[in-house]
Amino acid sequence: MTDISLKVPEAVRAQPYPGAPDNWKRFFTFSTDHKVIGIQYIVTSFFFFLVGGAFAMVIRGELITPDADLIDRTAYNALFTMHGTIMLFLWTFPVLVGLGNYLVPLMIGARDMAFPRLNAVSFWMIPVAGVLLMASFLVPGGPSQSGWWAYPPVSLQNPTGNLINGQVLWILAVAISGVSSIMGAVNFVTTIFRMRSPGMTWFRTPAFVWAVLAAQLIQLYGLPALTGGAIMLLLDLTIGTSFFAPDRGGNPILYQHFFWFYSHPAVYVMVLPAFGTFSEVLPVHARKPLFGYRVIAASSILITIISGAVWVHHMYASATPPWMRMFFMVTTMLVAVPSGIKVFGWVATVWGGKIRFTTPMLFALGGISNWLFAGITGIFLGSVPIDLHVHNTYFVVGHFHYVLYGAIAMAIFAAIYHWFPKITGRRYYEGLGQLHFALAYIGTQLTFLPMHPLGLMGMPRRVASYDLEFAYWNVIASLGGFLLGVSTVPFILNMVSSWILGEKAGDNPWRAYGLEWLTTSPPSVENFEEIPVVISPPYGYGQDRPLVASNPNPKTIADSGFLIEQKTLSPEPE
Amino acid sequence: MKLRAIITLTVYGILAAIASLWMAKQSYSWFPPEASAESKLIDDLFALFTGLGTFIYLGVIGPFFYSLIFHRAAKYDLSDGPAIEGNTWLEVIWTAVPLVLVISLALASYRTYNKMAIRGPMDLVHLHLPQLMETAYALPLDDTPQLQIQNALETAPVEHIDVTARQWAWIFRYPEQNVTSTELHLPVNRRARFTLHSEDVLHGFYIPAFRVEQYVVPNQDIDFEVTPIKTGTYRLRDSMYSGTYFAANQTDAVVQPVEEYRQWLAAAAAQTPTPAFNQAASEYARGQAQGGRAKENTAIKGWATIPPAPPPVTNYASKQVSNK
Amino acid sequence: MTTEQAIAQDIEAKVRHTQEREAAGNSKFGFIVFLLSESVIFLSFFTGYIIYKTQTPNWYPPGVTGLEIRDPAINTVVLVSSSFVIYIAERFLHDKKLWGFRLFLIATMAMGGYFLYGQAVEWSSLPFTYQSGLFGGLFYLLTGFHGLHVFSGIVLQAVMLGRSLFPGNYDNGYFGVEATSLFWHFVDVIWIILFGLLYLWQ
Repeated sequence: MTDISLKVPEAVRAQPYPGAPDNWKRFFTFSTDHKVIGIQYIVTSFFFFLVGGAFAMVIRGELITPDADLIDRTAYNALFTMHGTIMLFLWTFPVLVGLGNYLVPLMIGARDMAFPRLNAVSFWMIPVAGVLLMASFLVPGGPSQSGWWAYPPVSLQNPTGNLINGQVLWILAVAISGVSSIMGAVNFVTTIFRMRSPGMTWFRTPAFVWAVLAAQLIQLYGLPALTGGAIMLLLDLTIGTSFFAPDRGGNPILYQHFFWFYSHPAVYVMVLPAFGTFSEVLPVHARKPLFGYRVIAASSILITIISGAVWVHHMYASATPPWMRMFFMVTTMLVAVPSGIKVFGWVATVWGGKIRFTTPMLFALGGISNWLFAGITGIFLGSVPIDLHVHNTYFVVGHFHYVLYGAIAMAIFAAIYHWFPKITGRRYYEGLGQLHFALAYIGTQLTFLPMHPLGLMGMPRRVASYDLEFAYWNVIASLGGFLLGVSTVPFILNMVSSWILGEKAGDNPWRAYGLEWLTTSPPSVENFEEIPVVISPPYGYGQDRPLVASNPNPKTIADSGFLIEQKTLSPEPE
Repeated sequence: MKLRAIITLTVYGILAAIASLWMAKQSYSWFPPEASAESKLIDDLFALFTGLGTFIYLGVIGPFFYSLIFHRAAKYDLSDGPAIEGNTWLEVIWTAVPLVLVISLALASYRTYNKMAIRGPMDLVHLHLPQLMETAYALPLDDTPQLQIQNALETAPVEHIDVTARQWAWIFRYPEQNVTSTELHLPVNRRARFTLHSEDVLHGFYIPAFRVEQYVVPNQDIDFEVTPIKTGTYRLRDSMYSGTYFAANQTDAVVQPVEEYRQWLAAAAAQTPTPAFNQAASEYARGQAQGGRAKENTAIKGWATIPPAPPPVTNYASKQVSNK
Repeated sequence: MTTEQAIAQDIEAKVRHTQEREAAGNSKFGFIVFLLSESVIFLSFFTGYIIYKTQTPNWYPPGVTGLEIRDPAINTVVLVSSSFVIYIAERFLHDKKLWGFRLFLIATMAMGGYFLYGQAVEWSSLPFTYQSGLFGGLFYLLTGFHGLHVFSGIVLQAVMLGRSLFPGNYDNGYFGVEATSLFWHFVDVIWIILFGLLYLWQ
């Protein structure tokens, strides 16, 4: 008897379990398992999040006093350039690609991404881009000091005259990350279009998958334009062509079109998966179906379409003709419609539910409230006359940090906490998680809210020194910034200790309704023993509606407790 | 039950409306003084946005927080909420209302933009007095700014000023008197037309008290108009990042009564041009003396920089204010 | 080997077969998605070209009045017809006639090679360089970037030619050849637009 009971777990264990910390070495290999790659993305990008965050601390340290006294002006300019570049290209993009990588195949009932090897190649380009970007601190002349927009002619000014300079390395790093993103996008789109499990029609596909699809479509049509602009910029900088160099007859404004044609939609590339996360997390922790699921899902695609025609709102002051200003003002404001649909849907989802304030739920709710605020200030910025005053001021900085930290980073944390039990098979510490949320939420308001009045008063962005009248709000913002820095400590503590020591979570600790919760935690290499056959739309809370035709993991999961509403919270026995 | 809900909603709606009105009124205090006719137009528009934005924010966040407080699951309650998957009418309403709202906001912005009569860089239609045609259907809120612009245009010819931006200095040239200055002087209640040039990179011509900004683009002469209506000294800032000493590229804009302005011009014309103080150049020189820093008294050393252009040689120089 | 094992092996083989077919379908889908994305780079270059050309007063560098059109036109005819040649090669492969496939593939490569040669000759005889203003830069950028694609196409064709020498390589479908051929058509279409922009619109 004892023999048999010992053997059974042994047999189950025969497949290596990605996500368990015991065989950590595989995270340093060229693994083609989408789950390993997902974790590789998330951990790598988190490292860069800390680097970019450290730069932000120095920036806020400089801005706590009006004078440029902590660091040299060139160092300040290099740091804000690198802060922006790292936070976008090495943190937000890759971490979301990582989450998508981990979750999409599980959510659509596939065994892996469509092109596993391509997937691994895309990942390994990220550390290469990161190393290249960091190396620019070591070259003479230092890193790029032209802001993350790299607008010419400033980006074409090369004080050292060296061929290998910070700006060249910057362009190469961004290009590598761009190639990685395009390959990732091809992979995601193919996976989502062709590998959904039998029965998973479009309107049975989770909202997160819709959002990832919408975001990756933007990568496909937008990134090549930036690549084109970057190639031309690189040629101007190295071999002396004249595309954007005014002293050689070029047109620097055209670069802005190339840049923003991608880089504004890029915001939606980042915010759409965040929306998807909210749509997944809220129903689970409010125990209610996602309100208006079909409309929320479809509105993601609507955002993809509209976002292709909004880019000039970054260029109202760039000598653009009035018809352009007016046209892009209307299109920009139209984005509020699909975004509004989502926000209203989320509020209605929460309304009348059975809400539990778990850490992921807190982050999702906080993220939505921040997004609401950022969305409203976004409409302000879309209006030409208002933008003519606040353009390139701290109002804009405050607005997009509310989007990027307030909404997107919050969504990323919500996602990490929400799927932590699935990814690692263990529970995180709720207390530390809530502490992390409290610090992050308060820190966000303290740091980024004061930037709005600063902008209205007329403080330009990217200044290393400023007039005395701005000191008051800047001190508050700096203190808030340091609080944000502190807030990552409980997060790191929580993640590391829970992964190693955390309580076993069981397969479906949230009693959630979705394919990813139908498999073991962490999932086996093949995800499912049998490919699940989906028979109903997602989010069937309160309905006793089976999601799949039969249990896709008959051997490892005792009973299909998630097929019919599971009635107990108790974690699975060891 | 239904009645109670309706009353609660109505009361909340009224409270939210009052709060929004209050915020809209408050919004005027968030800005620098209204030194140009255009700034009044923009502040009105901003107040409109603030009021509506606050109302939307409260309208969403109120029910949201209500729900978070009152719809929490009891400690051992493992049941699910009601299986409501959507409501077509609600969804139609909350698609249509924002649509109507943003279109009207866009329309309001368009009107304000027209009333400002800013000459866009490639815009020849707006040359003069476009607001005369606009008055017929202009917002009835407050016509004074428009009238002020109109009066300024009718009473005196437009004041021409050439503006040159470079790394990192502003030079203002009054072509009729052939006066150059590093400080911008403007007559009050006169329409001023700037012709913006840049010698090197992109700059941003931005006077927060005037509420309008415009990039200065190399190889392009960009015309740009405002109507100062309040005397005083305001900051003029470079708003488009222009390299190492970007933050130091600031000066003052002085709006004076017409008489004083004339006197100033005459006095400046009598001066022989001398090199003016330049923050960037002086920092650079001091830094070079101390081992090639961009600034001499910082804790952490930086990298090589593009050297600033030599200090501008002008008839009149702004008082040497150490730049914060 | 027991019968059970035999049945299991049989099932496994069948599963592998469907998986391979599905994988080929995925690859084709993914490749088309990639080409669509790639075309946006060219589109943005074309847009840039049109904007520059319509806004720049002195378009050609001093001493240049326009481009010679005769040799590039011959080049164009060669490149465009090679699209039909590679199509014939594909038909041969479809009918499992490997020799015909190889022959026509080599012909395609030769035509592509001739195109590149013609391009090189044109480049070396031009009176302006990539530093000669916007026109010079754009001309070399567009033709160079396209030439890079032609070169990649020829390399892909060479790989396909090499693969055809291994027996049984194309028994389970020939996605690689389809992709190469698709890529070649793409490069051709881009060239036609390019030819119109650079040479016909002067």
